[in-house]
Amino acid sequence: MPPVSDDTVFLSAARQAVLIRDKQLSPVELVRAYLERIDRFDGRLRAYITVCREAALAEAQRAETAVMRGETLGPLHGVTYAVKDQFATRGIRTTAGSRLMADHVPDHDATVITRLTGAGGILLGKLNLTEFALGGTIEFPFGQPRNPWNTEHDTGGSSAGSGAAVAAALCGVSLGEDTGGSVRSPASWCGVVGHRPTWGLVSRHGCVPLAWSLDQPGPIGRSVEDCALLLGLIAGHDPHDALTAHRPVPDYVRALAEGVRGLRVGVIRELTSGPETDPEVRDAVTAAAGALGRLGATVDEVSLPILPRAGAAFMALCDSEGAARHLPWLRTRAAEYDRGTRRRLLSAALVPAVFLHRAQQARALVREQLRAALVQHDVLVAPTGHRPAPAIAAYNAAITSKAEAISRFFTRRSFTTPAALAGLPAMAVPCGFSSTALPLSLQIIGRRFEDATVLRVGHAYEQTTEWHRRRPPL
Amino acid sequence: MADLTEAQVQALAQALALPMTPEDTTEVTHRLNAFIEALAPLAELSMDAPEAASAPVDPDAD
Repeated sequence: MPPVSDDTVFLSAARQAVLIRDKQLSPVELVRAYLERIDRFDGRLRAYITVCREAALAEAQRAETAVMRGETLGPLHGVTYAVKDQFATRGIRTTAGSRLMADHVPDHDATVITRLTGAGGILLGKLNLTEFALGGTIEFPFGQPRNPWNTEHDTGGSSAGSGAAVAAALCGVSLGEDTGGSVRSPASWCGVVGHRPTWGLVSRHGCVPLAWSLDQPGPIGRSVEDCALLLGLIAGHDPHDALTAHRPVPDYVRALAEGVRGLRVGVIRELTSGPETDPEVRDAVTAAAGALGRLGATVDEVSLPILPRAGAAFMALCDSEGAARHLPWLRTRAAEYDRGTRRRLLSAALVPAVFLHRAQQARALVREQLRAALVQHDVLVAPTGHRPAPAIAAYNAAITSKAEAISRFFTRRSFTTPAALAGLPAMAVPCGFSSTALPLSLQIIGRRFEDATVLRVGHAYEQTTEWHRRRPPL
Repeated sequence: MADLTEAQVQALAQALALPMTPEDTTEVTHRLNAFIEALAPLAELSMDAPEAASAPVDPDAD
C-alpha cells in the first residue's frame, strides 16, 4: 500500500474508509501517521488528554488483517476517531476535563463509543474540553487547548479538543457533545463542520451529564459528509437512554445528494445583522445565503425577536442544573475546580427561582418562534457566532463588571443556544475567513428530526466552496 | 431592582453552605447581577400562549 502523506491525513474520513476498503490505504500506517502528527503538534495544541497509542495500533493491525482477508467491513473500518473526554471508555480514564475526575476509569463504554467501534472505527484517544463541559475554564488542568489557525486564539468550547484535533488532522473524525453550542462553537472557530443532532436522536448513556434536557452528542469532521456518516452510526434508540426516539434512522449520507432546489431558507435577521455581529461575519453569512439562492433555494429574511434573550435564559437553566448536580462537590471540594468553572456554578446556584421560571418561559417562547419560522421555511441560517475566535488572553480575563458579564456570557450564546433550547438540529459549516485569517461559520437550523435536510443544505453549500479544503498553518 | 452587593451575595452563599473566597465573591456578584438584569425584562413579555415546559418534549411526539 502507498505511504501515508499529509494529503491523506487531511482526507475526509469517508474517503479514507473507501481507500482502506480498496486496499489503497493501510490502517496501521494511517494510525502511525496520526500518532506522528500528535507527537509533532499536540504539545502546543493540547487537543488530547489521553492518547490510546498501543491500543490504536493493535486495533489497526486487526483492521488491516481483516481487509487483507476480504472479511466483511463496517462503514468506519480502519478509520481513526477521537472523542471528547466526556464519554465513558472502558478501562481508559475519563476526566471530564477536571482534576476531580483525573483518576476516574469507567468500567463501561458510552453507547456512542460502542456504536463507532462496532462500525470498525479505531479510537485514537480522549480529547480536551472545558471543565465538566460547562465553558469558561480559565486554567485547563490538562493544558490550554489552542486554535490551529492561530495558537494564541481560543478553539471554542466546550468540545475544544474535538474541534482542534479535526482541524489539525490529529484524527480522522471526532465526537463532541453540544448542550448550548459545544459542538458548533469549536467547529466554527476551528474551521470545520460540527452537527448538533435533534434532541433525543442520539443516546447520552455514558456521557458525563451537564443539563439533561439540552445535552446531545454530535460529530465534528472536515466535511459535511463525515458528519452525516458518523450521525448515521450513532443515532437511534438506546434502551440505556429512555429519552431517545424510536424513529428509524435515515441514510444521511445518501440524502446529501438531494440538493437544495425548491427549499425555503430563512436568514435570521437578529443574529445575522444585529449590532453585536462582526461585519465580516455578517457579510460571509449573507454571501453563503446568496450561494444557496443560486443553487435553487428560495432565500428571504426572518425576524425572531426573542433570540437575543436566549443566551441568558439558556445559562440560567443549564447552569442551575449543573450547579444542582455539583452542589456536593462545590461544598466540599470547591478549591479543586478551575476558578472559572467554580464561579459560573456558584453564580447559577444563587439565581432566584422566580428568574429560573422566567427563563423556562422564555425557553418556551424561543421554541415557539423557531417552530413557527420553520413552518414557512425548511431551514433557517445565521452565523454560528458573532465574531471569529478571540484571543485566549482576552477570553480568560477576570470579570470586572456586570456589563462585561452580560457581553461575554450572554451575547455570544444567543447564537447557538436557541436551537438547543428548542431541541432542533443545527450545524456549523465553514463559510470564509476573517481579515485576520480566522475561520467564519454558517449555522443551519432545521426542524425536529429533519437532520437530513440540515446536512443536505450544508453539503450543497460546502461543495460550492473551498473553505473546508484549507489547512491551518502549523 | 438595585444590584446585589458583595455582602448580600456572600450571605446567600453562606445560607447555602457554599464556600466563596473574596475573589470568588467579587466576580460572582457581577455575574449574578448580570443574570438578574438579563432575565428581569422577560417578565414584560407576553407569556399567555406558551406554557413553561418543566420537562423536555417527548422525543417520539410530534
